[in-house]
Amino acid sequence: MKNMKWVAVATAIIATTLGSGAAMAQALQGEYKLGVLEPLTGNLATQGKLHLEGYEVMRDLINTKFGGVMGRKLVLVTGDATDPTAAASEAARLATREGVKIITGTFSSTLCGAASEAAARQNVIYWETSCVDPRFTRRGLKTTFRTEIDGIGFGWYNIEFTAKYLAAKLGKKPNELKIAFLAEDSSYGQSVTEAARERAKKEFGMQEVGAPEYYTFTTNDLTPVILKLKAANPDILHHIARDQDAILFWRQAREQNFQVKAVVHAGATGYGNNGFGKAFGNDANGPFVLAEPGPGIMIDKFRPEGQVIERAFREAMKAKTGSDVPTSGHQLAAGGLWILKLVLDAAKTDNLDPFYAAAMKLDLPVGSALNGWGVKFESTGQNSNERVQHYMLQWQNGSLVTVWPEAFTTNRAKWVPLGAWDQRK
Amino acid sequence: MEVIPQLVVSTILLGGLYALIAVGLTLIFGVMRVVNFAHGEFLMLAMYAAFWAFTLLHMDPYLTLFVSLPLFFAVGWVSYRVVMRPVIHASHNAQVFTTVGLSILLQNAALVLFTADAQFLRTDYYTVVLRLGGAVFNLAQTVAFVIAVLATVSLFAFLRWSYTGKIMRATAQDPQVASLMGIDTGRIYALTWAVGITCVGAAGVLLAPIYPVYPTAGLQFVLIAYIAVVLGGLGNMAGALIAAVIIAAVEVIGSYTIGTAWKEVLYLMLFIFVLVVRPAGLFGQRGAEALGT
Repeated sequence: MKNMKWVAVATAIIATTLGSGAAMAQALQGEYKLGVLEPLTGNLATQGKLHLEGYEVMRDLINTKFGGVMGRKLVLVTGDATDPTAAASEAARLATREGVKIITGTFSSTLCGAASEAAARQNVIYWETSCVDPRFTRRGLKTTFRTEIDGIGFGWYNIEFTAKYLAAKLGKKPNELKIAFLAEDSSYGQSVTEAARERAKKEFGMQEVGAPEYYTFTTNDLTPVILKLKAANPDILHHIARDQDAILFWRQAREQNFQVKAVVHAGATGYGNNGFGKAFGNDANGPFVLAEPGPGIMIDKFRPEGQVIERAFREAMKAKTGSDVPTSGHQLAAGGLWILKLVLDAAKTDNLDPFYAAAMKLDLPVGSALNGWGVKFESTGQNSNERVQHYMLQWQNGSLVTVWPEAFTTNRAKWVPLGAWDQRK
Repeated sequence: MEVIPQLVVSTILLGGLYALIAVGLTLIFGVMRVVNFAHGEFLMLAMYAAFWAFTLLHMDPYLTLFVSLPLFFAVGWVSYRVVMRPVIHASHNAQVFTTVGLSILLQNAALVLFTADAQFLRTDYYTVVLRLGGAVFNLAQTVAFVIAVLATVSLFAFLRWSYTGKIMRATAQDPQVASLMGIDTGRIYALTWAVGITCVGAAGVLLAPIYPVYPTAGLQFVLIAYIAVVLGGLGNMAGALIAAVIIAAVEVIGSYTIGTAWKEVLYLMLFIFVLVVRPAGLFGQRGAEALGT
């Protein structure tokens, strides 16, 4: 019943606002200022800028078609969180100078901890839309919320895919699979890897070969790691990469003729970054990336209210970027901002206690929101992993396309097992 | 057992890359005693030059190399005249702040012009590898290594036996006395800086087919290059080359035997140990580290 009530509220908001978009834009009373903290310069700026673009597109949609937030025009005030120190100082600036009561951002697990601590000191709500460090919502801070799954969720999904899909494709039982773990050494890489290791071993009895290898993502040479992997001879390589390290690994793995049956990654960085496809073209074929829905997704499998916001968002993104498919960064930021709007509209205030109560009350099934997500916050402020539906994408001929769950996509996985490097065409 | 030959090959090729970057730094840091924090950014600019020449003009990076030599000599000469000349006789602090400022300027200019996306120069032959025994040689890395050795030998000979090289060393040892001997030290500083930037420009072009380029790409190499220069002995070309190979060996062997997470710890521990035991570096002249201060 609770679900039905919230679905009805969300549907009513969407239906009403879509029917009178222009009129609604004019009817907005005043402005609501929201802080946005993203790395806009430095190593993490690629993703930071994509996230900012996602926020901006969703802001415009909310203002023009969905009645603003709490009946007011949504305005974004940005800060540049280049590194953890800058993230903390910019969070403090947004709170004290700009007077925002809610900050959203910062996407990176290296930044969200510092930024949210600084926000909490100002009693400002921190609404994270991407960073996956599990510790983020486990610090007893009532001011922190996260709409995206955490690293444990990423690891959970990766092993779900490996055990229930890849194993069958390879003609093996999950406990017959040999799996190796490789990751960059930030809290993102470590949390996803450790969660995946635990589930792979305890729930499915997979055979872990070799010790997990962690490396700094700016490393200049991964040949020694590849030599160890070749000796271990895994069926599956679970590799969490950060950025250019995915390009370095893929090039050196090819040089060393490292053969593995499947490579599984999670997140918008590393193999999930468009730069990986641009770097290799068709030579990128094969790796799997857990992410938000990409090409091939069947939006009509979402709930009606989810279809409305998803189609509106994709249309707006296409107008902005010319691409039919938004990137993960766009989707995470916009999906998180959409849920924030739902909570603010329900709470009618950004005061912490009623805001927290409204967030806890929100109960939307999978398929109700952008990206096919649902919403049910745990008391820690974490959107529950099972509500944040994720998809497995695969690099196929220069594009990341959705291949799993098969019920939601028109595409099918290829190159399982991967086969020789020059045969993946 | 093909692992050991491969580790040896990886060490030599990686060491060659570090040496290639360290050569230019040896001139600027080792001879001029200027701590150039923008060295990595000149490397990044050269990588972008190779990338855009390839993308827009379909120019092979090895052809771009020949264009890059006069181009980066000019970049070096102009950057010295505009940025470094006013602080060349100032305190080390002023020089450090100036080069840090130049580094930030170049990084952010690249960010604005080229975005933060990592770009990769994918030549038709990027998958070509050479095989010897059980070891695999990346073609582009092998070329870079050979050029690193040639550059090191050439600059070593230039500094040791050429008249200009002797003047450079004399200026490094005592600028005031050099000036009293009729040496135009200002011109020598400009020349040294420009040759150093030319070297790092060549290094950047050679790195472009191997590593992705992005605005902060230089940072991951330049710290190691600094360590190689100091470890090898300031101003000692051959020392920097050997030190670069030692650092690469510690990285590669440490990664394979102990774990990749430890490799930075290992070479930094070695660096600290050598500085404690032998402050002039492995092949430096005792007391040379204090010259020009």
